[in-house]
Amino acid sequence: MAENKNSTDKIPNWKRDFPVDQEEATHVSRREFAKFLGLLSGALALGNGAIVVKSMAFPHKALEGEHFVCNVADLAPGEMHQFEIEGSKSIPYILIHLPEGGWRAFEQKCTHLACAVRYRADIDRIECPCHRGYFDARTGVVIEGPPPRPLPQLEAVDKNGKIYVRAMSEPLNV
Amino acid sequence: MSDFRYSQNEAHPNKTNTLMTGIIVLLICLVTIQIWLLYSALNNALEENFGIALATFFGSLVLALVSFWLLRYLPEPRIIKSRK
Ligand code: FES
Repeated sequence: MAENKNSTDKIPNWKRDFPVDQEEATHVSRREFAKFLGLLSGALALGNGAIVVKSMAFPHKALEGEHFVCNVADLAPGEMHQFEIEGSKSIPYILIHLPEGGWRAFEQKCTHLACAVRYRADIDRIECPCHRGYFDARTGVVIEGPPPRPLPQLEAVDKNGKIYVRAMSEPLNV
Repeated sequence: MSDFRYSQNEAHPNKTNTLMTGIIVLLICLVTIQIWLLYSALNNALEENFGIALATFFGSLVLALVSFWLLRYLPEPRIIKSRK
């Protein structure tokens, strides 16, 4: 003990002010980096758990009921009409009057990074101008570009000259 | 005081270095896999694929446990002053 006290007395002042050796400092920081990686790994697992919890707590609800969009006379074949359906949040949709006469309704948010898509009659496709993604105007499947999933579709029905949309009665056969 | 571990460390100072590097490389691999899992979970949860969200969660959890367990093998910091 007495010897110990002696040796601390011999430490010069500058060393007492900066008591960490360089070698020791680098060693510790690598340990800390490794621990940080462990923490990151835990955080990623937690994040993944949060996705599970979220999809259990807020399951996807299909659109309820039928919603009036517009009159058949309002939209010439090959044209597109944008509308919104108010729900818990309002979702923008597009209604397309196909050149050959059918009606289609899709969500307007691109499945890539949520830009607004639009129907282009000249190429008969739905186009996302942001990164040149293209969707089939009849089924909503991705033809070209970065979008990972088809556009969500609603069923558009013609009732006495009025167009209504409702949730797809049968899933898309893609 | 000098013991077996001390003289080993003196003779082969690279051992802890290698161990540390190995652990860090393993941890980086684990975290990379987890990022990939999280990415696919996000992509698929949007598509209402609950199974994938659940499977990636368990995978990610196992990898996290492995990386916590790996941390136990971190070499002790060398205590330089007390040896001198
Ligand atoms: S946002 Fe539509 S292609 Fe990127």
